[in-house]
Amino acid sequence: MSEANTALSDERIKNTSRLRTALIRPELGGICGTIIVFALFLIFAGDSGMFNSQGVMNWSIVSAQFMIIAVGACMLMIAGEFDLSVGSMIGFAGMMIAIFTVTLEWPVWQAILVTFALCIAIGALSGYIVVRTGLPSFIVTLAFLFILRGFTIYLPQLIERRTIIGGIDDAAEGDWLAGLFGGKIFGGLFQWLGDNGIIATFERGTRAGDPVVDGIPMLIVWAIGLVIVGHFILVRTRFGNWIFAAGGDAQAARYTGVPVNRVKILMFMFTAFCATVFATCQVMEFGSAGADRGLLKEFEAIIAVVIGGALLTGGYGSVIGAALGALIFGVVQQGLFFAGVESSLFRVFLGLILLFAVILNTYIRRLITGER
Amino acid sequence: MTALIKKIAIAATVASLPALAATTALAEGERYILVSHAPDSDSWWNTIKNGIALAGEQMDVEVEYRNPPTGDLADMARIIEQAAASGPNGIITTLSDYDVLSGPIRAAVDSGVDVIIMNSGTPEQAREVGALMYVGQPEYDAGHAAGLRAAGEGVQSFLCVNHYISSPSSTERCQGFADGLGVELGNQMIDSGQDPAEIKNRVLAYLNTNPETDAILTLGPTSADPTLLALEENGLAGEIYFGTFDLGDNIVEGIKDGIINWGIDQQPFLQAYLPVVVMTNYHRYGVLPGNNINSGPGFITADGLTLVEEYAGEYR
Amino acid sequence: MSETQKPIIQMSNIEKHFGSVIALAGVSVDIYPGECHCLLGDNGAGKSTFIKTMSGVHKPTKGEILFDEEPMHFADPRDSIAAGIATVYQDLAMIPLMSVSRNFFMGNEPIRKVGPISVFDHDHANKVTMDEMGKMGINLRGPDQAVGTLSGGERQTVAIARAVHFGAKVLILDEPTSALGVRQTANVLATIDKVRKQGIAVVFITHNVRHALAVGDRFTVLNRGKTLGTATRGNVTQEELQDMMAGGQELASLEGSLGGTV
Repeated sequence: MSEANTALSDERIKNTSRLRTALIRPELGGICGTIIVFALFLIFAGDSGMFNSQGVMNWSIVSAQFMIIAVGACMLMIAGEFDLSVGSMIGFAGMMIAIFTVTLEWPVWQAILVTFALCIAIGALSGYIVVRTGLPSFIVTLAFLFILRGFTIYLPQLIERRTIIGGIDDAAEGDWLAGLFGGKIFGGLFQWLGDNGIIATFERGTRAGDPVVDGIPMLIVWAIGLVIVGHFILVRTRFGNWIFAAGGDAQAARYTGVPVNRVKILMFMFTAFCATVFATCQVMEFGSAGADRGLLKEFEAIIAVVIGGALLTGGYGSVIGAALGALIFGVVQQGLFFAGVESSLFRVFLGLILLFAVILNTYIRRLITGER
Repeated sequence: MTALIKKIAIAATVASLPALAATTALAEGERYILVSHAPDSDSWWNTIKNGIALAGEQMDVEVEYRNPPTGDLADMARIIEQAAASGPNGIITTLSDYDVLSGPIRAAVDSGVDVIIMNSGTPEQAREVGALMYVGQPEYDAGHAAGLRAAGEGVQSFLCVNHYISSPSSTERCQGFADGLGVELGNQMIDSGQDPAEIKNRVLAYLNTNPETDAILTLGPTSADPTLLALEENGLAGEIYFGTFDLGDNIVEGIKDGIINWGIDQQPFLQAYLPVVVMTNYHRYGVLPGNNINSGPGFITADGLTLVEEYAGEYR
Repeated sequence: MSETQKPIIQMSNIEKHFGSVIALAGVSVDIYPGECHCLLGDNGAGKSTFIKTMSGVHKPTKGEILFDEEPMHFADPRDSIAAGIATVYQDLAMIPLMSVSRNFFMGNEPIRKVGPISVFDHDHANKVTMDEMGKMGINLRGPDQAVGTLSGGERQTVAIARAVHFGAKVLILDEPTSALGVRQTANVLATIDKVRKQGIAVVFITHNVRHALAVGDRFTVLNRGKTLGTATRGNVTQEELQDMMAGGQELASLEGSLGGTV
């Protein structure tokens, strides 16, 4: 019996090269996709304005928006759950901030903090319902999709008799917390770049002479920050291991003492947090909240996550991958326009990319996990 | 590894084919981009697409149509920024929410792109963002005029079927109508959603619970078509006073059959066609009309439907 | 196994009812450190209820369980793990998508402080995993190899090694060999043998008499929620165990050969 288990492993497992080992990781699909997408648009839209300062800022902002919600959706998906209420949560959070600041005339920082608390509590509630009832999160959060959207339309109509509440930018003037979401950083650097002719400047109007891009919006800072924090938690902490375990096999995780329910509820709360960050940045930038904000964003988040290599059934994925998925999504969405492609074909491209990404990612995952 | 590279190479080739086709379609001449706030599902905007296409052909300029697929105005702001970044000669855009869109539009104007506001917004707002002019139908005024007309024909209560509740201009149409009638809007406006079956059932439900309703106002083909079906079903077709904004195949049929009393035509064709013509001439010869252009409202009744009928949904 | 040793788990006349269903109807078993105690039973005999009762998941309806001579009171599985009772389930032992080292330390992640932040100590986890796997005779390609690439027997071995590493005193194995081929079964049985020699009590649940006889020190047969007695190695044949599992009609005639332990 002893010779059987000396197990000089298995002669049927082929040796794999170091290069292959280094390449085979969940992010591989996302990395390949990013390279392909940028190469294509450099070729077909290189001189269309897509890669001048305004163009870069445009697709960066769109990608950063996707990234913020993709980080939450990614970690929740790895923990084995879905949140379909992300889009409605964006609309709802924005509307709450608007109602608190404009109707109730609270200071903006207070409105933002209360909204965060409220939205995270709603996330916790949907998570609690999911783990308590054992219902699929798909159904529970679908209910919240309608509930939140309904309130987002009903409340402003009831209170302000309109569906778009404006005037938040006036209230946010000089608010310490508002700047954290709606401001821009590195303004001086961009002014210098503009002065030295490295980036274009406005030709006329009140802002003549200012650079066309006058700083990095906080939206992008949040996106990068969330990606870094999310990746760190997932890969480098004990809690990250629990997230993988909860989504990989909740029962096996429970048997080894992982508090699966707590992990899942916390991930629902984190997803709600990300949606609220998205909403707050949007409200602070545009100065208004509308009842139709965030429509279908939940699917865009899930698509970015799937392009980034996460497994829909949970237990496998990468925040970096999701961020690259969001980048691909944003660049393709905006880039098709620069390349002069008819806008209604955007969905065709999206479908093709999704299909390609899923096939490639499945192939990579089989290499890693030995599934057949 | 080679298999992997091969797969990627194949995918890259496949993905690049449509892009190749698209780049060859580029033409010479001035380039204008029309940005609308309408979701993909709104068929009314087809007339706009046809309008700019025809103008582009006749003026020999390049035209593009852009819209946020879900009708999310925040996405629309990005599209305007993007349009400005691509450096066109001019942008024609709707101004359906001043708070959200004024920033990007002003930035476009300041970076040297000429802008004409069409369809939504007001002449005052167009002036404030630095646009050349406004082409469209002031929504509140149009609703008000319709309300006065209906009041003259004895209408005292109505149902406004709002299929685009999140757009302030839709609400203004209902509000204008209510003010024209001299009644409170209150609960007479319903959020019908965009789905035909849902719209139909909500109209049926409303008329069931409020049988004293005198009139129905729909805001375009999206809400008018299912409403027509609803009226056929509950037998009120031709009985109830029915007015609608905008035109479409079924609306024209309805006017002809006497089910719809009138349609308010804001003549979207002009909203798309004229800005292209105006801007092209401005850029070529420096000529610009001295005023805003009101493309509507025009009331269309059963008289004089021939041309409307022929081109409904295409240019009307 | 000496008589002077004290049993680590003593279960006497355990009954477990689920509503009107009587899953266990008077079960008595003693488990001693360093023995491999085989629990045999056909499907539906009450084996899984028995495991869950022994590991603290279920509370017995009647009867008492002594763990280390103290009455056992566990609120949840975490408590029983902390006390040293580890259960390795047939299918639910491992998460295939995760690496061996992440699986090994699942729920017991090693922590390293970086400034104020606690991070998962991957270096430590990887090293321990490789060492422990090596001890069990499994050479991994690397600690980050996914469990999905391991064979069924290797997965059971990882799970057993994990339980031993984290200080299990009692190791309950739920049908570890039922889905395995001949060679993998041999590997798992060899692992059980190694674990037993470290002084850990192994409760080996199976319905395969030959596997039980290969490593077992004592054998208890469970039938329709009752124990039919415990036999020691050498006092019972394969056929006798087989008959008892099949229904115990010949219980009376077997009593003698069971050495009066009924």
